[in-house]
Amino acid sequence: MEDVQVVAMLVRRCIAGDAAAWEEIVQTYNRRIYNICYRFAGTSDDAQDLTQEVFIKMYRTLSSYDASKGAFVTWVTTITRNLLVDHFRKTKQDRMTDSMDSTASDHEDAQPLSEQIPDQSAPADTRVRQRELSETVHQALGKLSPELREAVILRDLQDMDYKEIATALRVPEGTVKSRINRGRAELGRLLQRTYRQVM
Amino acid sequence: MPDRTKNDHTNNGIGCNEFDLLLSDALDGVLSGAGLDRFQAHARTCKTCGPLLEEAEAGRTWLKGLTEVEPPASLVSNILASTTGVDTQRLRMMTRAPQPRISWWEHVQASYMEPMWAIVRQPRFAMSFGMAFFALSVSLTVAGVKPRDVLQISLRPSAIRRTYYNTQARVVRYVDNVRPVLEVQAALRGIKRNMNPAEPGPSKQQKERKNDTTQQPEQKQDRNYSQTGEKLILAGDPLGPSNRDLPVVSVTTYRRFV
Repeated sequence: MEDVQVVAMLVRRCIAGDAAAWEEIVQTYNRRIYNICYRFAGTSDDAQDLTQEVFIKMYRTLSSYDASKGAFVTWVTTITRNLLVDHFRKTKQDRMTDSMDSTASDHEDAQPLSEQIPDQSAPADTRVRQRELSETVHQALGKLSPELREAVILRDLQDMDYKEIATALRVPEGTVKSRINRGRAELGRLLQRTYRQVM
Repeated sequence: MPDRTKNDHTNNGIGCNEFDLLLSDALDGVLSGAGLDRFQAHARTCKTCGPLLEEAEAGRTWLKGLTEVEPPASLVSNILASTTGVDTQRLRMMTRAPQPRISWWEHVQASYMEPMWAIVRQPRFAMSFGMAFFALSVSLTVAGVKPRDVLQISLRPSAIRRTYYNTQARVVRYVDNVRPVLEVQAALRGIKRNMNPAEPGPSKQQKERKNDTTQQPEQKQDRNYSQTGEKLILAGDPLGPSNRDLPVVSVTTYRRFV
């Protein structure tokens, strides 16, 4: 959890033109934002571009952040979410519509770090199976509607609480819960169907 | 298919709408006691909510199994470059591999001598150099310059200074010698002009003066727009000048009365 005072101080230093403070903000939040973007957009290239766009927007609008209105991480997530929605609208035509049975992505960045480093303890076929499983879930996530997708990403992958998600998505808490439930159920249904076909 | 809008169709004290609201709490593990019992009882008996709970639970498990992905190593430096426009020295050091130290001579060799040598080695350069040398030697031979003369050139400072003064004195002498000739030429030109004062100007000037209608009345100026060559053609007269338009010249003859 972020220390409100430390973050507020960082933001003030950054607004005053302290490059080191901005670098610290980037170092702290780039991983989180990249992961949200990657899980939402689906590809590493898009995630990189979107993450950069998020930080550019943050850098320009940092002075508008009001600590009394909410946590910095919620503010950052709101910016990320808004950009993701814009991106979704722009790329509506050429959005990912390929089959879930398609081959796994060959992007190095698409793999978790734990899977990039060879694990001597786990057998090779187990590692391959884990990677395939992870890729299948990632693709299934891309099949969800953006409303459901963003809700489950923020809840189950970013561990945000319902109130923060409601603030970031600008919807009531009940709607957030409903979307998360529907998103999880839809994902479970998709994956169960997939594995039933494979079996 | 049970009606999800209907409250408590399973008679467990909980309706489908309430089940929806409690579903996330149940999955998060915050539901307990009698509430949890009612929730589970409804899930067991409701044909819609039971599978929904299963699917949501499965989806949540799948999602929790996804691990965080590692961002690319260049992401931070790219972000800093695109925001502050400054790629900090520290970041450059982080992203770049350590370079082995090289001496200044190796640096000069790598930076200047190697590229130059690469150019010199090209056959095109060798051919151009040969042609230039041949042309220069032919020119010097034609000009009467011998290699022996070139070798005799002294490059000492006193010799260079003496050469400079000698050249300067030669230029001054040449100008002094030429000056009387120029003065005589100028005088002759003046005399010639005085002898022929009424020289006609160039014919071009006359022609220009003929076409110059700035001093004429407006009517005549308009007519002159259709003038071609020496002949005056009026725009309003298709047949050209007629006798009636010709100026009447009165000829007066003087008889000599003898």
